[in-house]
Amino acid sequence: MAEEFEPRIVAFLCKWCSSAGSDLAGVSRMEYPANVVPIQVMCSGSISPLYIFSAFNRGADGVLVSGCHPGDCHYIKGNFYARRRLKMVKQLLEYVGLEPERFRMSWVSAAEGTKYTQIIKDFVKELKPLGPQTKLRRTT
Amino acid sequence: MAKIEDLKEEAKKLLREGKVKYIIGYGVGSNGWMANPVFVKKPEDVDALVWDPTCVHNLTRFLVDEKRRKGKEKQPDTRPVGIIVKGCDSRAIVVLLQEKFIDRKDVYILGVSCEKAGVVDEKKLAKKLAGKKPSQIELGDKDQFIISTAEGKTEVPVAEILAERCLECKANFPVIFDLMSGDKTKRTPEKPFGSIEQTEALSPEERWNFWKTELDKCIRCYACRSVCPMCYCDECVVDSINMAVAADTTAEEKSEKIKWIQRSPESSENFVYHMVRAIHLGGRCIDCGECERACPLDIPLRFLNKKLEKEAKELFGYEVGFDVSQPALISCFKDSDPEDFIR
Repeated sequence: MAEEFEPRIVAFLCKWCSSAGSDLAGVSRMEYPANVVPIQVMCSGSISPLYIFSAFNRGADGVLVSGCHPGDCHYIKGNFYARRRLKMVKQLLEYVGLEPERFRMSWVSAAEGTKYTQIIKDFVKELKPLGPQTKLRRTT
Repeated sequence: MAKIEDLKEEAKKLLREGKVKYIIGYGVGSNGWMANPVFVKKPEDVDALVWDPTCVHNLTRFLVDEKRRKGKEKQPDTRPVGIIVKGCDSRAIVVLLQEKFIDRKDVYILGVSCEKAGVVDEKKLAKKLAGKKPSQIELGDKDQFIISTAEGKTEVPVAEILAERCLECKANFPVIFDLMSGDKTKRTPEKPFGSIEQTEALSPEERWNFWKTELDKCIRCYACRSVCPMCYCDECVVDSINMAVAADTTAEEKSEKIKWIQRSPESSENFVYHMVRAIHLGGRCIDCGECERACPLDIPLRFLNKKLEKEAKELFGYEVGFDVSQPALISCFKDSDPEDFIR
């Protein structure tokens, strides 16, 4: 029997909220799929669209960007900038024909370990039927 | 189309009095009818300037080059540079001013109005003339271009050979200028985003196939980057290999330099390159269509930029290149920005 497809997700987590949230999920021993490669960044606003394109280019099946809730940003307004910029990225990815489900953003605070696990669970569940992402993946 | 006799007078005066360093404008090209960029340095050469529907180029790119050149000079000539701009080009200047890349006092803007028309599309024109060589193209009074060929004059309705972008133009006269020639009647396009409607209506899979066919053609000549007035980064992300390599740079150091995008013209790399370029131009592209014109493989690059222009307008109510005092699209935000894609 063929093995079930396990999507690989690259998650950019902001240091102050989402990364701490994923940490909380870890230390609380909550269970969630092991499909995520977390990358800690200083702020969701520091994420260049290039990171996202590059993640897809190097074989990510899905990309998650997670930051602090609006108003909670450690740098006051980094997540507002991120929201605007990444909306454009999302529209562009859709326009070139990538499945819209593959790129996602969320707000996860340092106390929301449960929410983080839920987001990952949902993401994995939605990515599975799509199969591997081959459109933007480097072939050589 | 505007007559530029009064601009020529002013240009002569400016050069004679030494108020500008030189004037960037359009002159007759080497094929006898298509305009070419010219640089006028002496007052007696001003008569070389022309203004007709073949002035397709966006000359503001030369302001970027000028700034570079000035930066390298030990004792730079600080006089402004005169430049002839159409409506679209003037918006490029607005964006450059908005981003504080150039200074208002460094440029003397001579605006020309496209009035009811715009510039011709070379390919459409060649098709229309079926091999005949034009000698002159003028704008008539009744929305038609008068094309003179060796066999006489032909009249062609404006809409038939007008460049795609001119059909969707929202600024048919300069929005910023020191001196302007021509009529300031605003024209509103029927479909400001008409050209992308077709691709937008496709299903995601069809759209993917469309872009795959188009972008696979790309040979990575970077003509689109070279011609774009907004592509002024000192080091482009695709050139990350041009790190300073000295005799003692080790192989390890070289391999540690991040290569975001490979230079080989493969499908995946082409996609990343063009998406990065599109996103860098999101909210900055003024739709001068130069990338598409310069592209040797006819990739519809305008569509990507137009799409993001549309999103900027619809999602954030942002219109590019009309207001110098407005902050750039991604350097501002509103509390009410869309959040539907965030959970």
